[in-house]
Amino acid sequence: MFDTIIIGAGPAGLSAAKILQESQKVLVLDEYFHAGGRLLGQLYEEEKGRWWNGLEIARRLIMETEGKSEIRLSTSVYNVELDDIYTVYTTAGVFKSRSLIIATGAREKSTPLPGWDLPGVMTVGAAQVLTNFSRVKPGNKGVIIGINPLSMVIAMELGYTDIEVAKICLPPKNKINDQTPKDAFETLVSLGNSAPSKFISFGTRVAGRVKPLHPAALKLFPKGGVKAMGLPISIKEKIIRINGTEKVESVTMQKTDSKGRPVGRKREIQCDFVCISDGLAPLSEIGSLLDLRHVYSEPLGGYVPLHSEMMETELPDLYVAGNVTGIENAKVAMYQGQLAAHRILGDEEAAICTLASINNERKNAKVKFHKDLIHGRETVEAMWKDLGKENV
Amino acid sequence: MTERILNHKILGAIRHEFVPFKWNGETIYGVEGESLTAALLANGIRTLRTHEKDGKPRGLYCNIGHCSECRVTIGGEKNQRACLTPVKEGMSVKQQTELPHLVKGDDSHV
Ligand SMILES: Cc1cc2nc3c(=O)[nH]c(=O)nc-3n(C[C@H](O)[C@H](O)[C@H](O)COP(=O)(O)OP(=O)(O)OC[C@H]3O[C@@H](n4cnc5c(N)ncnc54)[C@H](O)[C@@H]3O)c2cc1C
Ligand code: FES
Repeated sequence: MFDTIIIGAGPAGLSAAKILQESQKVLVLDEYFHAGGRLLGQLYEEEKGRWWNGLEIARRLIMETEGKSEIRLSTSVYNVELDDIYTVYTTAGVFKSRSLIIATGAREKSTPLPGWDLPGVMTVGAAQVLTNFSRVKPGNKGVIIGINPLSMVIAMELGYTDIEVAKICLPPKNKINDQTPKDAFETLVSLGNSAPSKFISFGTRVAGRVKPLHPAALKLFPKGGVKAMGLPISIKEKIIRINGTEKVESVTMQKTDSKGRPVGRKREIQCDFVCISDGLAPLSEIGSLLDLRHVYSEPLGGYVPLHSEMMETELPDLYVAGNVTGIENAKVAMYQGQLAAHRILGDEEAAICTLASINNERKNAKVKFHKDLIHGRETVEAMWKDLGKENV
Repeated sequence: MTERILNHKILGAIRHEFVPFKWNGETIYGVEGESLTAALLANGIRTLRTHEKDGKPRGLYCNIGHCSECRVTIGGEKNQRACLTPVKEGMSVKQQTELPHLVKGDDSHV
């Protein structure tokens, strides 16, 4: 019997363990063979010369928790039940605890297109883990389909190892994705002051002497795309098909106008790997197993278990932390893990202090996953408060 | 052929100790503790299985355990996710192939 079981050894789970282990018997479960979650592949420049090296940060968290918390890797959780205490069913046995933290993180979304099942097609996250954690090239020349913060960050990471990215452009329109050149353009501009958007606003200003969000800027966006930080970004090109027999050999590209309508002829681009990227969504199956009420929030990435800003859920002694509550960067996930731990220990002062750190990081984050994130957080908090009124 | 990144501009250099393991009965080499998907890719192997129904080649997709596209047989145990399995010296990994059709028998594909 444990005081607290934490599902997920990512930045959120390990940060919670680090605090709880001082006074509690803690078990951390993760199905990967290495602790650290999605930190393991992260690598980007936060400010000139200051790098966010996720692998290093993961190693530090592991060092701080190893031996003090019980960490079981290569262990998948497939069911959880509540009956006075929590019972967690895993591929390595059944474990019980008084409190439970769900810190399962996020998954990548994909837009299917013809040929996406060929070997050599993968998510951008897969390419990130291969390149930065396993240090194996996903291929020599790739095409990235999907324009969003994650695909931009990872495209840059591929560049640090001289893997050629031939094109970053849009997927074909279908029922689950209708990202238009305008949406992609807004995404690029909303990336804040990270490198590609700076270049784009510069590029468009030079081209038309107009503000980046002015409608004319989209029309002026070069047909063949722009080179930003060495990235060939193109919002007026779509990949409509991936070609190959045994593996990826090329993609078929179609030029479009600023509304996304096809213009001109199709062209083939040779490549040996393709990354599909349609953003991230919270991974919340465990919450569903416990019948937690979920709410849909576009800015948070999809369905999230209804929770308070203090990481509480509708069930007693059940907390959530990290990307399962909404898509944000790893720093926020770490603070959320700490916050859940403080709440479990009843340390109100530390909890309030950590909440302030979260709000601060949210405002100044270098990697922003959605422009309306803060609004999304406020909406969920308002729903949580309404729930309180319902129960009175 | 995909290469290993021995010198990374930001992460620096690494050195590997290689161990032998079996892929479809043939001896190949990987780094002890790295994911099977990485080890196979570094050996130029992209096709991890052929689809149960139509026999088409499939490879890794998410590389973090979410999609099950990378399922292989490890030490006789079927449907293990290669991306979640670290390389161990001497382990035996096999590609999974098309299943016989329940009605039409072994030769039929659809
Ligand atoms: C592919 C990918 C790439 C990303 N890249 C970046 C980036 O470059 N920069 C950035 O700021 N953010 C990135 N993110 C966002 C990322 O989610 C956060 O930065 C942060 O890692 C979230 O931390 P977490 O602890 O909530 O979840 P994670 O780091 O995802 O950790 C969750 C852990 O839970 C485990 N787990 C999940 N379900 C189970 C189960 N049923 N049983 C056992 N274990 C389970 C997983 O194996 C994982 O180790 C990325 C996300 C993904 C999915
Ligand atoms: S590649 Fe998706 S589960 Fe292994």
